[in-house]
Amino acid sequence: MTHPFPDFTAPAGPARIGIGGPVGSGKTALIERLIPALTGRGISLAVITNDLVTDEDAERVRRSGLIDPARVRAVEAGACPHTVIREDPTLNLAAAEDLDAAFPGLDLILLESGGDNLASTFSLDLVDWWMFVIDVGQGDDIPRKRGPGIMQSDLLVINKLDLAPYVHVDAAAILREARAIRAARPVLGCCCRPYGRDGADGTDGIDAIVDLIDREVLFTRAARQDAG
Amino acid sequence: MTLLVNRLLGTLADPWLGEAVHRLEHRGAVETVTLPRADLARRRLRLRTDRGSDLAIALPREVALVDRAVLLLDPDRAVILRVEAENWLRLRPRDGAEALSLGYFAGNLHWRARFEGGDLLVAVEHPLATYLERLRDRLAEGRVQQVEQAAG
Ligand SMILES: Nc1nc2c(ncn2[C@@H]2O[C@H](COP(=O)(O)OP(=O)(O)OP(=O)(O)O)[C@@H](O)[C@H]2O)c(=O)[nH]1
Ligand SMILES: [Mg+2]
Repeated sequence: MTHPFPDFTAPAGPARIGIGGPVGSGKTALIERLIPALTGRGISLAVITNDLVTDEDAERVRRSGLIDPARVRAVEAGACPHTVIREDPTLNLAAAEDLDAAFPGLDLILLESGGDNLASTFSLDLVDWWMFVIDVGQGDDIPRKRGPGIMQSDLLVINKLDLAPYVHVDAAAILREARAIRAARPVLGCCCRPYGRDGADGTDGIDAIVDLIDREVLFTRAARQDAG
Repeated sequence: MTLLVNRLLGTLADPWLGEAVHRLEHRGAVETVTLPRADLARRRLRLRTDRGSDLAIALPREVALVDRAVLLLDPDRAVILRVEAENWLRLRPRDGAEALSLGYFAGNLHWRARFEGGDLLVAVEHPLATYLERLRDRLAEGRVQQVEQAAG
C-alpha cells in the first residue's frame, strides 16, 4: 500500500534500472560493460537477471570477475518473461529487497529481463527507469515496427553497431529513424563487444549510456552540476 | 544548481501548506512542474520547472506523487507538481458484437479505458495518431465511430 506522505524523511534506497529487449540483443553484454563503468564512478551496484528456467545469465555475470558474486541474484521467470517484470513482479521485488537488506549503501540495482519480444515493458513499481536493447542484426526495420518496448522505454539502445556493415544495415540511418520515431525520448547506439574496441575515445557508446543514467536516475554530484 | 527532492511535504489541500505557498505566490516565488499522468508512478525523475530550475526527484518507494504535491518549500521558493489534463478518445461501437470486439481489442493493447453509456473512452497517453492507426479499419468500415475530437 503506498502512503502519499509518510511523516518522516526516509532515504530513497537504491535506484532500479530495467534492461529489456529481444533474445540475444546484448542485454547481459551491456551489463558486463556497465559494471566497470559505473563502479569507476563510485556507484555501488547489484544485478538481478531473469531467465526462463535457469540461472545462466546470473552465473555468467558472477563468473565475470567484474563484481562480487554475492551481489548477483537470479530470478527464474518460467515461460512468461514479461509477466515477472510487469503484471506480477513479486519475485523480482523480493530479490531487490533482499539485495537492499544485504548491501546497505547500495546505489543501483540493474535488472535484466529474460529475452522477449518487442512488446515487453517494465512496471514502474519494479524499476525507476528502463532501457530496451535491440541490435542491428535483427534488421534495420525494427524501430519502424514500433511496439511498446521501442516506443515506451526511457532509453532505446541499438547495440552491435560493429556488425552493421555485415548485415547490410546503415548504422547512421537506423539511429536517425529510431530518433524520429521516438520523438523526444533518447536513442543511443553502442558496441558492447569486442571489449575495449574503440573504448578509449568513447566511440563504443558505453560512456554516453552511463552519463544518461547518471543524469536521469542517479543524480551523483557530477550529474547535478551538469544542470544544462 | 540542481534542487534535490527526497520527500513530499504534502499537497496544496493541506491548510498550512496552502497558506505558505499562497504567501509565496504574492511574491512571485512559486514554480511548477507539469507531468503526464502516466509519470505519477515514477519515483525518480529529472525535471525542469516552468522557471527553468533543474529538479532531481528521488522518493522512497512507499511515497507516491500526486497532483498539487508540494515538492519544495523554503523561505523564498516553493515548487508545486501539476498533472497534465487528460485527453480521452471517445469511441462508439455500432452494435453489441462490435462492442465486445472493441473491448477485447483495447484490452489486448493495454489501453487504459473507461466506460460511459455505450461508449468506450480511451486515455490518450501517446500521440493520438497511433490510436487512430490501430482503429483504422474499424473507423473506415463504420463499425466504430469517433464521437468527440480528442486534442493532442
Ligand atoms: N559483434 C557484437 N556482438 C555482440 C555485441 N554485444 C553482444 N554481442 C554478442 O551477442 C550475443 C548475445 O549477447 P548476450 O549479452 O548474451 O545477449 P542477451 O540479450 O543477454 O541474451 P538473452 O539474455 O539470452 O536474451 C553474444 O554472443 C555476444 O557476444 C556487440 O556489440 N557486438
Ligand atoms: Mg542475457
